[in-house]
Amino acid sequence: MSPTPPQLDSKCPSGPISERWDKHRFELKLINPANRRKFHVLVVGTGLAGASAAASLADLGYRVSVFCIQDSPRRAHSIAAQGGINAAKNYPNDGDSVQRLFYDTVKGGDFRARESNVYRLAQISNQIIDQCVALGVPFAREYGGGLANRSFGGAQVSRTFYARGQTGQQLLLGAYSAMMRQVGSGRIALYARREMLDVVVIDGVARGIVCRNLVTGAYERSAGDAVLLCTGGYGNVFYLSTNAKACNVTAVWRAHKRGAYFANPCFTQIHPTCIPVSGSYQSKLTLMSESLRNDARVWVPKQKGEPRPPHNIPDEDRDYFLERRYPSFGNLVPRDVASRAAKERCDAGFGVGTTGLAVYMDFRDAIRRDGEGAIRQKYGNLFQMYAKITADDPYHVPMRIYPAVHYTMGGLWVDYNLESTVPGLFVLGEANFSDHGANRLGASALMQGLADGFFIVPYTIGGHLAGRKLPAVSPTDKAFEDSERSVRERIDRILSIGGKRTVDSFHRELGKIMWDHCGMARTGSGLAFAKQGIQALRSEFWENSRVPTSSAGLNQNLEHAGRVADFLEFAELMIDDASQRSESCGGHFREESQTDEGEAKRDDERFSYVAAWQHEGVGKESTLHREPLAFEYVRPSQRSYK
Amino acid sequence: MSRFGKALASSVGKKIVMGLSGLMLLGFLVEHLHGNLKLIEDPSGAAFDDYVGFLKSFGPLLVLAEIGLGLLFSAHVYLAFRLTLENIQARKQRYVVRNNRGASTVGSVSMFYTGAIILGYLLKHLIDFRLDPRFFDAPHAAVQAKLSQPGHAAVYLLAAIVLGIHLSHGFRSAFQSLGLSHPRWNPLLERLGKFVAFLFAVGFAAFPMYYLFIRER
Amino acid sequence: MSAPSHDAGSGRMRITLKIWRQEGPNRPGKVETHFLPDVSPHMSFLEMLDVLNERLIASGLDTVAFDHDCREGICGACSLVIDGRAHGPEALTTACQLHMRHYSDGDTIHVEPFRANAFPVLKDLMVDRSAFDRIISAGGFVSSPTGSAPDGNAILVPKPDADRAMDAAACIGCGACAAACPNASAMLFVAAKVAHLALLPQGQPERERRALAMVHAMDEEGFGSCTNHFECMAACPKGISVESIARMNRDFALSFLKEAPDLPTGSSVG
Repeated sequence: MSPTPPQLDSKCPSGPISERWDKHRFELKLINPANRRKFHVLVVGTGLAGASAAASLADLGYRVSVFCIQDSPRRAHSIAAQGGINAAKNYPNDGDSVQRLFYDTVKGGDFRARESNVYRLAQISNQIIDQCVALGVPFAREYGGGLANRSFGGAQVSRTFYARGQTGQQLLLGAYSAMMRQVGSGRIALYARREMLDVVVIDGVARGIVCRNLVTGAYERSAGDAVLLCTGGYGNVFYLSTNAKACNVTAVWRAHKRGAYFANPCFTQIHPTCIPVSGSYQSKLTLMSESLRNDARVWVPKQKGEPRPPHNIPDEDRDYFLERRYPSFGNLVPRDVASRAAKERCDAGFGVGTTGLAVYMDFRDAIRRDGEGAIRQKYGNLFQMYAKITADDPYHVPMRIYPAVHYTMGGLWVDYNLESTVPGLFVLGEANFSDHGANRLGASALMQGLADGFFIVPYTIGGHLAGRKLPAVSPTDKAFEDSERSVRERIDRILSIGGKRTVDSFHRELGKIMWDHCGMARTGSGLAFAKQGIQALRSEFWENSRVPTSSAGLNQNLEHAGRVADFLEFAELMIDDASQRSESCGGHFREESQTDEGEAKRDDERFSYVAAWQHEGVGKESTLHREPLAFEYVRPSQRSYK
Repeated sequence: MSRFGKALASSVGKKIVMGLSGLMLLGFLVEHLHGNLKLIEDPSGAAFDDYVGFLKSFGPLLVLAEIGLGLLFSAHVYLAFRLTLENIQARKQRYVVRNNRGASTVGSVSMFYTGAIILGYLLKHLIDFRLDPRFFDAPHAAVQAKLSQPGHAAVYLLAAIVLGIHLSHGFRSAFQSLGLSHPRWNPLLERLGKFVAFLFAVGFAAFPMYYLFIRER
Repeated sequence: MSAPSHDAGSGRMRITLKIWRQEGPNRPGKVETHFLPDVSPHMSFLEMLDVLNERLIASGLDTVAFDHDCREGICGACSLVIDGRAHGPEALTTACQLHMRHYSDGDTIHVEPFRANAFPVLKDLMVDRSAFDRIISAGGFVSSPTGSAPDGNAILVPKPDADRAMDAAACIGCGACAAACPNASAMLFVAAKVAHLALLPQGQPERERRALAMVHAMDEEGFGSCTNHFECMAACPKGISVESIARMNRDFALSFLKEAPDLPTGSSVG
């Protein structure tokens, strides 16, 4: 166990905000190019953050080993992002600037992010676009050959760069190709189908990892001089989310158990426009891009139990509730606001569909105004995807949508260097808590992942490698042996339970508890109830779950069981975090803290801090550390979209 | 291996040679069909005899051209065998159930077989005429003697049809392998390929039909 | 497709599955028959396999292994051959996006893994497609080290070129092209990457070298060669055109005429 750091030090530089990153980079120690190859960096996860970090570190001359859970690094879940990536290029000449992107991000995050980090993100955003263009990402273009931009998620400037509806895919493939170039050159060793199960900490510094080879079942130890966790978010704690099936909390949770603090775990983002659940067999949810709201009107019938099919309901019997409640922003209110409004209508009994958990997203008026052809041109692929899944034709029948878990702002606590409370353990991308505060703006996740990987960690890792004494370690050291033993024992224990219930049924039940009590709306009593439920479910899991044991090697059920076991521990921390934060902010809505009109009410006096949790043992209460947030450049204000 | 040799031996290199040799062999067929048409053009056979005589007058040059043609053909056949074997070996464990999506055609899936039939036919054809010393004494008479026999005529007829099937894929495919492709011209190329296949099938089928049905009467 | 059928919940189906089971690489495999009495038409194909696996666990049997991840048709993890077709009967659809409403009560469905020597079966329906990663590492990139890029708008790209590059770049690397190819050739995969980068100005400096290196890497992996059946294009869930293959062939042919580019050495995909 690492010694507990005395106090959370964000290491944010002082001085004018626009000069902080430059100043910090100047102060960071450099490593002689000839010496870089002596350092070995372990990168876990190959999404935007992991792939870009691995490529950039290898470009600098470090030796890098990369581990990913999928069969190929190209399949990391960044690939599924649709909409775009923000940058403050101001190519459309519409008044954008680094300052404005910074301001929008801090405000959009409901004043729960660090100003220094966000400003740096806005500064770096432009370089990311340049780098991605150079790597051959086929961004959308204007006829003159310049890069095209669009407005996204209600932003008042057009700063979103995109590649059709597959921006995440194209960016990931760009970062992946840069990484694979270095795999070809021999600077990066790639290990696919490996699941990281422990971080090895020696003398208080992260010096290695233990993985399970998902094909052979073998445990594999890797020693290095720094460990980068780029393992994504934990949205699958809800079972149903837009995350890929393999997304999990395991890597960061194991790191947390080794001393890395977990920050703001209750900050999750619910995306308003997803395809609703259709049955109990449902395995995941599919997002419909936010861009649809530019041309759609969201409504429910005014009458409960309305029997008429939607296209036969006249306007006077429709409740366009977003337009009614938010006349100036209408259907373009931020994600958290739109999601809660839909939930409010459904909870009040006005929801549509067999489950009553859906609202209509209607293109009728846009089709009348612009013609079906114009709509097809803009959204053809999305309409096709919707039709494929639901067998409904959205050109003639309104889409049915409902909010779903989409992104997690919380993650391992990191300082300005992206280093966790375990020295040498860096956390990048969605896996860290850093830049989005309590709510993430559309098209900002891709920006953050690439900023961390391309342009932040390659510098800040030098501070660690040059600044600390790193004695040689070997995978045969006792710390590695101990780590492997603990990992092996946990898996053997899962295999030996031999109960009755399938792992999936536990995961579904956990998801339901979390969605009902720690989803779009949370209450003190509900959270307390959920905590008990989770504890009971966790005990049952360890007594009554059932994993086929016929295969010691490739065993997907065993993999899932390990992840669910971690979710069952992590969920309790999420509940604790949601309980202590009795204000509402961003995606975290406490029913006790709302305005008379039912809007989220922040409490800056008491809660303007980052909640960073220290693990004290499973079943024991974690210790809360608070990193105060100071706002020097953006004055906190109540968000209003009326 | 030199870079050039390595590139040539690669899967794409082999396909380029395949396509190029195929198109050149097609060029030979154009001339061959043109010459043979003299059989029908002039029923007396004098024109054809003159044509053969004209070719023969080239002497050693003709032999040289024939060697070149032989090499071209050998390359085409050799690569066909190699590619086919390699492609079979690229999937040792076959599918239990396999269905195509209708992109492949009779021509494309039977390339090796139609090619093999054409090769067999070619040997017979050479033995029938080119390697028979009597042929050059009276070319037209030799052709007439052969093709008037229903058995032989049937083989020639069949070969013409098989050639058509081979070309129905081969023509378009050669252009693709050489990278000669453009969205605007590809549909045209597709139709042209079918047309060329039809033309050569009908063209070569004309001779056995002619001797079997028309000339006899 | 007119009236909303999303709610219709009715029409439960009985489905017989004939599934390829194989314990591990280089082990003999066999077709195993399973019966599902209660399949909802709204399930995705993978959700039906989930249901099967839950039943198998309940009966103490080993689950059917299959690769899957995003389940929305973009990650490319699905690798099922359904009734003899890669990704199943629907065009432009990955197996995860295939829904059971395309089947009828009483149907029997054959499920096999993608088959090619270069895609060895790991278990059941799961195959090893790391060959694709090695092909990319041989040349499927633009060598632009981090930090060296000029301003994004310093490189102008005509919109039609960008659009065509995007058409090719849409490849999800699933391998259906190789699985569907009668020759188990990976030409469409390789060509899609070559075409994507060849259509952009950023890709020009390494254009011929890339085509050569990727083709050689593909050959070394043991894929077959292209004989222009075009089954790949018909099976591609992203509709990538064989136009890319012609483009790559052209680059390859032209590279004969140019100065010798040095080819990269081996990679280290573990």
